[in-house]
Amino acid sequence: MIQVQHLSRRFGSIAALDDLTFEVEPGVVTGFLGPNGAGKSTAMRTMVGLTTATSGRVLIEGRRYRELSEPLRVVGAVLDGSGFHPARTAHSHLRYLAAANRIPKERVHEVLGLTGLDGVARRRVGRFSLGMKQRLAIAAALLGDPQVLILDEPNNGLDPEGIIWLRGLLTALATEGRTVLVSSHLIREVEISAGHLVVIGRGRVLADAPVEDLIPPDGTTLEEVYLQLTHGMADLDTRPPAAGLR
Amino acid sequence: MSTTALLRSELLKLRSLPSTYLVIVTAVCVGLGVGVLEMVSTSHHWLQLDPQERAAFDPVADSFSGFEFAELAFGAFGVLAITTEYATGTMSATLVATPVRMKVYAAKVAALMLVVVPICVASTFATFILGQRAIAARHLDVALADPHVLRAVVGAALYMVVVTLVGFGLGAVIRHTAGALTVMFALVFLAWPVARAVESVTYLPDRWLLVNAADALVSIRPATGPNASRTPSLAMACLELATYVVVLLAAGAWRATRDL
Repeated sequence: MIQVQHLSRRFGSIAALDDLTFEVEPGVVTGFLGPNGAGKSTAMRTMVGLTTATSGRVLIEGRRYRELSEPLRVVGAVLDGSGFHPARTAHSHLRYLAAANRIPKERVHEVLGLTGLDGVARRRVGRFSLGMKQRLAIAAALLGDPQVLILDEPNNGLDPEGIIWLRGLLTALATEGRTVLVSSHLIREVEISAGHLVVIGRGRVLADAPVEDLIPPDGTTLEEVYLQLTHGMADLDTRPPAAGLR
Repeated sequence: MSTTALLRSELLKLRSLPSTYLVIVTAVCVGLGVGVLEMVSTSHHWLQLDPQERAAFDPVADSFSGFEFAELAFGAFGVLAITTEYATGTMSATLVATPVRMKVYAAKVAALMLVVVPICVASTFATFILGQRAIAARHLDVALADPHVLRAVVGAALYMVVVTLVGFGLGAVIRHTAGALTVMFALVFLAWPVARAVESVTYLPDRWLLVNAADALVSIRPATGPNASRTPSLAMACLELATYVVVLLAAGAWRATRDL
């Protein structure tokens, strides 16, 4: 379970997160939607302690992220701005992450197999396609067999086969009783895989409800509902500066 | 959060990059090769040297003449050890695994030292031994047991470690490879004309230059002429190097605890 409590984050005069409050329950995939600059990535980075909140807090399984002694065993994350050294192999990227949280070496091979990367494990990440890098990011998230998954646009770069595979994986993880939060701009994809939705705009919660409650019986599609909710909310200026561009 | 696990993770990171081996092998080969060759050629030309040049010859310091290249390589290694993490996003991946930023920073320094210190010590002693062998035919060589010699050899190793840490501290503060490399290069290698420019007023900036502190550490002959005023005392040189390391590592530590 993830509890986001009155979370605010300001970048200068801009409020990227503005008193954001919601909970992500285990057992169901929760879709995290919002226009560009709504604060999705900032919220997810704040959940794992990469961005410090101006006020408010996030509790994961009842604890703050920095209180987790081996966080990869509790939380798996795919994040915007997190990456790989191009000269390192997929295997050695996972090895140093595993070592940091005392995760056995065998688990590295397991997640490489699980994400279909076993054939390229010893290849340098710099020669990976976007989709292969995304699979490696997902492999890293699964490394500690975590109870909670925080995935920022995990579909990015995946081929159709990969998207279907990920859909199955997320549903399976949620069915096992894990907490799964997935941000995406692909509304149709979210509609298929998610049971619950949190929609934010300008750092505030616009909707927080089961998918079936959000779609009215009159035949309105989820896309139309989303556009009504977020109308006029697109605000590119609130995006935090991307890592590496400063 | 286990400290040994964190240190293991940082060592795995350094060991899994080809550039680590490339930089270290280059630094050692050039540092050792140039120094030893200079000793060979000094020995060869000894009879043609005038008395002044002979008096200025320092069998220890001169055998480390290739170390400027090694210092550049190790300084760059220190910079890259942290800036590439910011540039490639591996810092985010690391901080998600180990959210206590100060511990990550400390583990990085420790891992860097575990790799760099043994190599610096081994390559300095190897250079010294081979350099002395090259000038032994003219009986110009000194032994480790001779006055100041051990201090000078250890000093050469220490200085390379200091330059590595200066690079690392600057890298941590600046977080940008090109910027940090430029500042490191300027601070370590190019700052001396600035100090020369104010010599009519004071020699203090001269004495605070890293290169002059290195001279004080590595020479076994006292500095003469204008260099005598530029070179700090041995104790002062040690204090200065410690100051550089402490200030830059502390600034880097502060910066490393800020958000990405």
